[in-house]
Amino acid sequence: MTSPDDFADLSDDELLAELQAAVAEADLVTDRQREAARAAFTWRTVDEELAELLHDSALEMTGVRGGDDAPRTLSFASRGLTLEVEIDGDVIMGQVVGASASSVVLQRSIADDQPLEVDSAGFFRMEGVATGPIRFVVQAGDWTLTSPWVAI
Amino acid sequence: MTESSPLAVLVSQAQDGDQHAWNAIVERFLPLVGAIARQHRLSEADGDDVGQTVWLRLVEHLGDLREPAALPGWIRTTARNECLRLLAARGRTRVVDPQAGGLDTVTDDVSDADLVAAERRQALRDALAGLPDARRELLLLLLVDPPLAYEEISRRLGIPVGSIGPTRARAFAALRESPALRRLAPEPEGGPS
Repeated sequence: MTSPDDFADLSDDELLAELQAAVAEADLVTDRQREAARAAFTWRTVDEELAELLHDSALEMTGVRGGDDAPRTLSFASRGLTLEVEIDGDVIMGQVVGASASSVVLQRSIADDQPLEVDSAGFFRMEGVATGPIRFVVQAGDWTLTSPWVAI
Repeated sequence: MTESSPLAVLVSQAQDGDQHAWNAIVERFLPLVGAIARQHRLSEADGDDVGQTVWLRLVEHLGDLREPAALPGWIRTTARNECLRLLAARGRTRVVDPQAGGLDTVTDDVSDADLVAAERRQALRDALAGLPDARRELLLLLLVDPPLAYEEISRRLGIPVGSIGPTRARAFAALRESPALRRLAPEPEGGPS
């Protein structure tokens, strides 16, 4: 159905009908989606080194959902630092491992940064976290860890 | 620089920090991302979150993107993965009624045919955007539902009624010949990340 020559075999009317569906699909894009997509560019940085996603439980269970109420767990690593995160409903808990964390900031794409309180063991917790794309920026000793964006 | 600029030009300009080039890229692919979110039956809010995540991740990886031709495939793959990821995350935190068995929370994966169809519509939009203005405008008027009379099209475009048929034939020929459609072969996996 999708050989490169496929379109050449369609009549003009068939092509027009497909074109109509294609153009109609573009009309479904909302202004909010457009504005958010454009605003994403303001997060562009040059040569920023992102932490590696080591683990996301949501990536390991596709297709077999439903019976498991366990919280979602994620972990990120960057040089000497590891960030472990657990998301349970609207509660986020985490721990910075590898160096004593001086700050953990929760970033949202379209809201102000939220500094999180982190204790001497590197633990932090936040309640009432809204859904949407988030990322973490951790400062610990000489290290910085910036996680990739993840939708929660 | 317009929406119809070649993708390689837009990607290069966006890599240099050009917001307008970025806007043109997202304008081109927003419908594809939206279509994939709908295919996965995400809620509207979750669909928007997935879309926003795709763009944020593209911003992260823009600097690594060496082959602009791989971008459509990257966007499609990333959108699909982020949909499945968010569905899985939602499944984990959903309260499951044991009486309901929980099976209704399992969503079938979207078929490859659906994704291919979405990419095909993307290629058609790209091909349309790449046509000369006069041909694109005529095709867009031909798409209007209910159809416009040739007299009306003639009036709007300022061309004689008698030339609409031949112009239409040339527009279709140009569309079929467009690089966007001729390139619509299975996308090799690749690109950033």
